[in-house]
Amino acid sequence: MGLLENRFDDNIVVEKLDKLLSWARSTSPWFFQFGTACCAIEMMAAAASRHDLMRIGIIPRSSPRQADVMIVAGTVTMKMALRVKKLYEQMADPKYVVAMGSCATSGGPYWQHGYHVLKGVDLVIPVDVYVPGCPPRPEALIEGLLKLQEQILEGRPLTRKTG
Amino acid sequence: MSEDIQLLIDDVVAKALAGDMDPINNIEDRVTRSKAKAALVKAKRFQPQIEVDSKSVQAAEKSDTESKQTIEQIVIASLSKNFSDFLDGEQNNDWVQIKAENWFDIAKYLKTNEDLYFDSLQCNTGVDLEQGMLESRYNLHSMKHLHAIEIRIKVSIEKPDIPSVESLWRVADWFERETYDMFGINFTGHRDLRRILLPEDWDGWPLRKNYEEQETYHGIVVPKVKEGWE
Repeated sequence: MGLLENRFDDNIVVEKLDKLLSWARSTSPWFFQFGTACCAIEMMAAAASRHDLMRIGIIPRSSPRQADVMIVAGTVTMKMALRVKKLYEQMADPKYVVAMGSCATSGGPYWQHGYHVLKGVDLVIPVDVYVPGCPPRPEALIEGLLKLQEQILEGRPLTRKTG
Repeated sequence: MSEDIQLLIDDVVAKALAGDMDPINNIEDRVTRSKAKAALVKAKRFQPQIEVDSKSVQAAEKSDTESKQTIEQIVIASLSKNFSDFLDGEQNNDWVQIKAENWFDIAKYLKTNEDLYFDSLQCNTGVDLEQGMLESRYNLHSMKHLHAIEIRIKVSIEKPDIPSVESLWRVADWFERETYDMFGINFTGHRDLRRILLPEDWDGWPLRKNYEEQETYHGIVVPKVKEGWE
């Protein structure tokens, strides 16, 4: 920053463009509105008036093309896994995934005998934040989303390699 | 309403029920008289109901003692007149075990016969009996006669063919598809026998005892770390 330092008036802040973009992105991670099982109820509760995800800039979107974050809320069966993958692929970069609940993180109660259950959504798509709980309370989900916002803030979108 | 008037009304209603209407008609106060008449109507409505109730209870008891035959015995007797060699093994009083061959005709008979009239198929499930046998169970119920019966059909696991009753009871469509999905019982004559819950390219029949989970599904690895879990 040596070139630009002390060359402007006092009311001008010099920063990296990366940081501006990350800041803008971290305060508006719109999530893809879909639920696969009971965790979706808690996700709805988190988005509803009492917990109000909108106050931290998180809005549900009904199309993968308009969403930045995919909250995988609930059990993912093998049949659904292919569709979850397809939906993830339809989202525009940069995209993030929150695995909500023990089913999405590891298969949960279906770990041993659920022949039809995907043992963790990270077998199919990359996961950024895991939220434990069965199901997690809305506070836990909000905690996870705040962690995700921190991650996005640290990210460098202009230099980040995608793909 | 004061207590005196209530007592008076009780008194005249009791007399009227005994057949003497004069005390009611002789009440001078119009309001009291109409109240007494209303009470009389109420009392009359209540009385015959009790009689009908006791009559129907008696009738039910009577029919119970008269017909000691269970519905299973009635069905077997009725079927024996029209079909030969349809029973499979020993029978008991809780279900009817029949052979698979004539099942469609038997089902049609059970549904259309006036005395049996099983117009509702309530459930169809499968069971893996092991020793190479599968079983399909049908719970039938008659909306008309309010009786119910369970039909069981055994088939070998090598050739699990059972005639479909999907064209008789429309609900059997999805029931049979589920049984097919889970046990691989082949319902011959079903118009649309596909898996209903699992993906169409799934391997194996999950509720059979000898089912083994596939190792990968469309490239997705199924981890099999089971130590320390039971």
